Formats: sequence, C-alpha cells, structure tokens
Amino acid sequence: MSERMRSLLVLSLAVVIGLVTLALPLVLSSSDVEIYVTIGLATIVVTGLSLLMGFAGQVSLGQAAFYGVGAYTAGIMAVHHWPSLVALMAAPIAAGVIAFVIGVPLLRLKGHALVFSTLAFQLILLVVIENTSFLTGGAIGLSGIPALHVGPLAISTGKDYAYLVWIVAVAVLLITRNLTRSRPGRALRAMAITASGASAAGIAVESYKLKDFTLSAAYAGIAGGIYVFFIGYISPDAFPVTLSIEFVIMVVVGGIGTVSGAFVGAAVVTVISQVLTSLGTSPSLPPDLPTVLSLGVYALILIIILRLIPAGVVGTLSDLWKKTKPSASNPVDTTGRSVLDSTVQAKDG
Amino acid sequence: MSAFTEYLITGVARGLVFALLATGFVLIYRVTRVVNFAQGAFAVFGGLLTFSLLRAGIPQGVSEVLAALAVAVIGLIFGVITIAGKIPLLSSLIITIGLAMLSEAIAMLAWGSIPISYSGLAGHDFVILGAVVQRQYLLVLVVSLVLFGSMALLFGRTYFGKAMTACASNAYAAKLSGINVKRMGLLAFILGGALGGIGGALLTPVEPMTYNADVSLSILGFAAAIVGGLTSPGLAVAGGLVFGLTEQFVSGYWSPSYDTAVALALLIVVLLWQARRMRLEGLE
Repeated sequence: MSERMRSLLVLSLAVVIGLVTLALPLVLSSSDVEIYVTIGLATIVVTGLSLLMGFAGQVSLGQAAFYGVGAYTAGIMAVHHWPSLVALMAAPIAAGVIAFVIGVPLLRLKGHALVFSTLAFQLILLVVIENTSFLTGGAIGLSGIPALHVGPLAISTGKDYAYLVWIVAVAVLLITRNLTRSRPGRALRAMAITASGASAAGIAVESYKLKDFTLSAAYAGIAGGIYVFFIGYISPDAFPVTLSIEFVIMVVVGGIGTVSGAFVGAAVVTVISQVLTSLGTSPSLPPDLPTVLSLGVYALILIIILRLIPAGVVGTLSDLWKKTKPSASNPVDTTGRSVLDSTVQAKDG
Repeated sequence: MSAFTEYLITGVARGLVFALLATGFVLIYRVTRVVNFAQGAFAVFGGLLTFSLLRAGIPQGVSEVLAALAVAVIGLIFGVITIAGKIPLLSSLIITIGLAMLSEAIAMLAWGSIPISYSGLAGHDFVILGAVVQRQYLLVLVVSLVLFGSMALLFGRTYFGKAMTACASNAYAAKLSGINVKRMGLLAFILGGALGGIGGALLTPVEPMTYNADVSLSILGFAAAIVGGLTSPGLAVAGGLVFGLTEQFVSGYWSPSYDTAVALALLIVVLLWQARRMRLEGLE
C-alpha cells in the first residue's frame, strides 16, 4: 500500500468517525446522550493527560483537581451573575494559571515524586473547597447554576451539550495533533526519550514541560466548565481521587502518547463503567455493588493492559498497522510503549 | 497541658504507624526502585482481617499475627504482579495504583463500607501528665519499637539483610555475586506487606478502618519515607513522627479540617527539598 493511500485511508476513517459521532446525538435517548457528553468531556481531559504522560513522560494524579478548578470557576462566576460564556471561558484560564503557578516548583519533581505531589495537591484542593463554603458551598455543594448562553442562543438540552462537547473535543484533538507534529511536539518527544539529551540539543526542557502541564490543565479546566453547566450542580464529591486515577486508566487503555487513543480510552472506559453501573444497580443486589464492580474492573483493566499490551489499544493497533508496511517511512515512534520504556531507562541512567 | 500530652501521644502513635508503612516503602524501593502505591492497602487488610479473625473467636494477639502473615502473602502476590518479568518502572508504579484500587474493591466487597473497629489492649486507660490515654497506644509504641529494632538487626547482622542492602546499592553487582535480585524484591514485598499489616492491626482499635483508608495511609507513609529520600529506614521513622505530630497538633490547636492538608503541604515541601538536595549533590 502506498504512503498516499494510507494517509487517505486514515483521513477518511477520521472523517467517518467524526460524522458518525456528529449524527449520534440525534438518535440517542436522553440517558445515552448523557453518556455521550461524559465520553466527550473525558476525551478532552484525557487528551491533555496523554500529552503529559506520553510526551513529557510524567504522570499526574491530580488531573481531576484541574477539572474541579474549571468546574468551580465557571460555577461560582455563573452563580454571581457573570455572563455564562465568560464564566466558561474563565474555566480553562483559571485551571491553566493554577497549573502554571504550582508547576513552577512541582515540575522539578518527576516520576513517583510528581505522582504523589499532584495527588497531594488534589487532596489539599478538596479540603480548601470544603472549607470555603461562602464561595463554594462547602461539602454541600454549589447549586442553582444558570443555563449556558452563547449570545442569544440558550444551550439547555442534552443534545445542545452533546454538540458543544463535540466541537470542543474536536478542537482540542486538532490542536493537540498539530502541536505534536510541530516543533514543540518534537521537542516534547525528545524530552520523553531522554531529558538530558534533549537539553543538550538546546531544547528548553523545563519551559516545555511547564507549557505541557499548563495546557493539559487548561483542557481539564474547559471540560470542567462544560460539566458544571451540563449538570447544574457540583460538590467536592464529584472530583474524587478515583476520578484522577480513572483519567490515567483512560490514557493507558487508549495508548500513552497517542492523540486518537484519548478518544478510544475515554469511550471504552466510560461505556464499561456505565454497563457495570446498570448491571450492579438493582434493588435485590447490595447497594455497594456498583462501586465494588467499577473499582475492581478499572483496576483489572489497568493491570492487565500494562501487563499484556502496554502500548494500549490504539498503540497496539498502530504497531500492527506499521508491520504491514514494507519500509519504515516514519522513523519517530509515537506509540506509548517505546516512550514509556525510554523514559524509565533515561531516568535510571 | 493535658491537651498537649494527648496530642503528643496520639501523634506519636499515628506517626509510628506511618513509620511502619514508610519502612515498607523504603524496603521495597531500595531493592526494586518501585514506589508501592498499594502500601496503605496492606494496613487496611491488616485491620480488617484482624477484625474478622477476632470475631471468629481467635484470641487477641494470635489474630493480629495471623492477619499480618496473611497480608505478607498479599504482599507477595502484589510483588509478583508488579515486578515479575521485564517491565518499565513507570508501568510498575501505575500497576501499584491499580492494585490499590483492586484492594479497595475487595475490601468493600468483603467488609462493606462502614468503618470497622475492635477493642484493643484490655485494661483501664491510664493517666499521663493529666491526659487520659488508651492502653492500645502503649501497645503501638512497644510493638513498633520492637519491629524497628529487629529490622535494624536484620539488616545489620544477617546474610539476608546484607544481600538486600547489596541489591539496593548496586543491583548489577549484587546479581554478579550470585544474589537473586528478583527474589530479594519479592521478599521486600513480603516484609513490606507484613509491616503494613501489623500497622493496620495496631491502628484499627484507636481509629476505625474503612475500605478506602488506604489512599491517606499510603500518602502519609510515603511522606514519612521521603524524609529519608526513600532509602533510609531510620529517617523514615523520624519522618513518621514528624507527620504524625504535625497532623495531631494542627488538628488540636487549629482545626481538624486542616490536619491532612497541612501534612500534605509539608509533604510537597519535603519533596522539593529532597529534589534540590539531590540536584546539589549531583545524584540525579
């Protein structure tokens, strides 16, 4: 198969997926539209986290915190009668600014140190939210969030939100795809393979890492902002540590460092979680069962994928896809496995 | 004065439990370079298993030991899943996060979501400097001191301990001198499991245990261990005390809502200080 045929095939596949997802909200029931929106929001967050894990080679266990910052920023502003579109726009900015500020010291850490410090950040943030009830509603939560208005257009039904999420998710995926194929993307990839080598080649490692961290937080922030208008109510319970872990699982399932993997991971994990919840929720079954099932299955998915197909679904498929190619025309391996391996080797050395 | 003594004693007791978890972190990290996020789950299993054994009529003392042995087996299983075969370190770390989640699911399935407790060391509470103290705190103190002492002996005086230290300082050279590094890693997981299990069994009578207590126990045990750069057991014990006391004094003199937040902020400060120290010493 020629190179041109391949890229044509990939492009048409992307267009088909785009059109199908665009048509879906028209035929879905209202509860399915909710799942659709959830997948879209997760895709936005996971794209950022995948960028951080695959390209900067760092794991953040605090991504749900930035999601929460976005949600609370938009929620609080909307409740205080700011125009809702301004509130939504402020969500990624607030998350990005906070990530930038805490990133300056925290990104000196790496590996397990960064994992634990981002987790600590999230736990501290939850305590702060619970103890500033005059602003956030505390543990009870923030309710009465008005509907989102874009100019004269009111975004109120599930279908409206489905389209809003679709537009933002596609924008985020395109921005990320272009970014990873441009100069900053190549710099980030070089950093993931060897930070000292990249630094020796003149790449400003610290500054790129900080930008990557800030961007991934901003993605989480805009997703949080949409979430708060969609649900209309938030409390600290909506942003548990398990949500941060869930985002990491989605990255791993889709394939670390693959842009399209973000969507696949988000979709697969969200659908599995919904199926489990509906299976486990029945009056005759113990009330803890849905939680047990989702925790257990998430954990098993994470462990099994890392043990058996560490490159993730998209990574493994693209590995197979490359094997059909006689000559390696793409010398830079973008799949998660190699990035993950080399990150660790570089750290060991 | 009595309030101060009370915070001091509860802080030291909690700190010692963190130190037991921290010692597990240090053991496993030194040999395998893996930071075991599921360390807190060992304590959860220790507490919950002791509860069930006691309810089955097995006498106090025996129950705690049996629970610790069972958690040592869990440690072995976690070790196999985490480090068997060739696997990148970052993957191992993420797998231990998965194991922590899996533990929560198992604990919730078997013991439910309601906090569980049992009575600790029998006998009347006693009074020190005006503070009423449960006898269990005395047990926590004695047992952990005995454990830290025997760990020191194990590492300083036995072949096994020296082999483990050898793996920690240079895995390649250890392998060349005939030490099975993987097996030493699994032994570290077994010991880490047993220490965590005992910690949980000691803690549950004074602080009811839930299926999801593992995250805060893991992060505070890690905090204690990071004081010694994840490699020094002695500094890890000191770290445990620092974090235990910080939590109790913040909770007592300021507000119980901020105890964990302040301890976690301190964790971030210690992490940054360690990173700076490493950089200055060129250890990176």
